[in-house]
Amino acid sequence: MTQEPDLREALLAAVPGLRAFAISLSGQVDKADDLVQDTLLRALANLHRFQPGTNLNAWLFTILRNLFHSEYRKRRREVEDPTGSFAARLKVQPEQGVHLDFEDFRVALSELPSDQREALLLVGASGFSYEEAASICGCAVGTIKSRVNRARLRLAAALNVSDIDDLGPDSMTRAALQN
Amino acid sequence: MTGDKGNKLARALSGEPTNGKLGTDAKLDSGSQKRIGDQLRAMYDELMQQPVPDRFKELLDQLDRKKDGPQ
Repeated sequence: MTQEPDLREALLAAVPGLRAFAISLSGQVDKADDLVQDTLLRALANLHRFQPGTNLNAWLFTILRNLFHSEYRKRRREVEDPTGSFAARLKVQPEQGVHLDFEDFRVALSELPSDQREALLLVGASGFSYEEAASICGCAVGTIKSRVNRARLRLAAALNVSDIDDLGPDSMTRAALQN
Repeated sequence: MTGDKGNKLARALSGEPTNGKLGTDAKLDSGSQKRIGDQLRAMYDELMQQPVPDRFKELLDQLDRKKDGPQ
């Protein structure tokens, strides 16, 4: 079996997207890079199973997601509260509330249930269709839609964006006046 | 403290986890949905623009040289 150069290029081109997904899923760059590396190794070992002409990215994301979940289940047996530490580490000035930045957003994202987080990341950030996301997660399209919707509602509640036109310190006053 | 709407949402969401009723029925207004989407993509773009670590290039180069392949 030889690696064709364009396949190598295609795999390399997929790495930034896989890393972004893995970092957002796990919240840890080191762990994310290990996940991406394991994904590439597994993909190369199973290339015969990949159907040319189908979506290479979706296939790679499926592998990464499955590795993440089996790893997560394993760690869950070994470590107490693996997700709580992630949220705590990222939580900087939780009462700040004056403006939204990526840090606030990451914390809110990390506090989503993992099925909602991955659905939102696949559809809202990685550019997959609902159908592709459903196939990656091994669930129904309706389930993905519902998870994405719930993820957005939770984020809106956590970040308090839902009735603020302009993000600023007087938003509470304005919200009070509107009611 | 969060604003009133946020609290209402948080209260509604805290009771939901399995029935999913709110999740499938309630919808964010399009402005909020756009703000959430913009934030998510901005955060993601930042991650996407990070240079690919050498370990991945080296990994693919190595496998490229081993013509027997991993099987």
